[in-house]
Amino acid sequence: MSRSDVLVDADWVEAHRDDPGVVLVEVDEDTSAYDKGHIRGAVKIDWKKDLQDPVRRDFVDRAGFEALLSERGISNDDTVILYGGNNNWFAAYAYWYFKLYGHQNVKLLDGGRKKWELDSRELVTEVPQRAATSYKAQEQDSSIRAFRDEVVAAIGNKNLIDVRSPDEFAGRLLAPAHLPQEQAQRGGHVPTARNVPWSKAAEDDGTFKSDDALRELYSGAGVDFGTDTIAYCRIGERSAHTWFVMHELLGQPNVKNYDGSWTEYGSLVGVPIELGEGS
Amino acid sequence: MSGETQTAAAAIQAVAAGCGAPAGGAPVADAGNQAIVQGKVTKGGAPVPVGYARLLNAGGDFVAEVPLGEDGGFRFFAAPGNWTVRVLAPGGISADLGVSAATGEISEFEVAV
Repeated sequence: MSRSDVLVDADWVEAHRDDPGVVLVEVDEDTSAYDKGHIRGAVKIDWKKDLQDPVRRDFVDRAGFEALLSERGISNDDTVILYGGNNNWFAAYAYWYFKLYGHQNVKLLDGGRKKWELDSRELVTEVPQRAATSYKAQEQDSSIRAFRDEVVAAIGNKNLIDVRSPDEFAGRLLAPAHLPQEQAQRGGHVPTARNVPWSKAAEDDGTFKSDDALRELYSGAGVDFGTDTIAYCRIGERSAHTWFVMHELLGQPNVKNYDGSWTEYGSLVGVPIELGEGS
Repeated sequence: MSGETQTAAAAIQAVAAGCGAPAGGAPVADAGNQAIVQGKVTKGGAPVPVGYARLLNAGGDFVAEVPLGEDGGFRFFAAPGNWTVRVLAPGGISADLGVSAATGEISEFEVAV
């Protein structure tokens, strides 16, 4: 797999956004960002309303994903270009989600909304009208999603990458620093986890660093490229970004995202927790 | 760089915080146990509504980022200590401002670019 299989740049988007079979999708942490302006032709997916089960803590199920993509006018054979703010944080989460339900052709706009805005490219408020489709999703691909028991079993056996900020890793913060610190669970990290903050994989403008720089980043932190990997953060979204880097850019074969992440692990009774800077 | 002003208290909005931070940062529901760093980005005295504020820790590592609000505003929920706010705006604008945060306080800054 090469970068061109999973990333496009802004020039590509401007040249191909009107091609049949290409669908731009904006997914932002700030779900109102799209309404203020978006890349012409892009539809919106709301990570919270559209991708989360409204009752249980889980994703929308297969039928729900099919209904969502059908309503947005996305077909199984469309090339889906995802982009969003904050280094493509939530766009990478949506990418992982599309892969989880078996969509073949999905890519990220490198740099996402931030680079697009910093480069002063055009944003519009007009919402495109796309005809509904009959999207068919696959069963969830369990090879890219980790659950809590696998995380406990991985302690000391697999790469565990905690991609939160150093302060969250050490237990000094319970949430990213742009959100209120209000979680009730314990602070800290899974023992033996390496702390490689997700954002280190991106340049200031949100584009991904080079493959060589990325390999050096993870190996320098003690990640063994010969071993299976589980990435986690607080609620599984930043770690989807790291999953993208490890699995899609660097081509590591066995990488899972633990979407339960710290809000689940840090609330479990009886599991080991390590505090401080780590071993 | 900055015209730097710091006031210990600012208006507290009684608005429930959402899960994702909106442009400008999540609203403050209760500053009692938070160490808040917030401010506005201006250029020639006018707010800069398109751009990003990044929070870096004392080691210079990225911690968080929010898009600027319509009024050029940003807000972070930090831990006590020293931080750097880095502002990015169209036209290659980048500015760094050293700030400090304390629990129970809203530290407010203006970043002039």
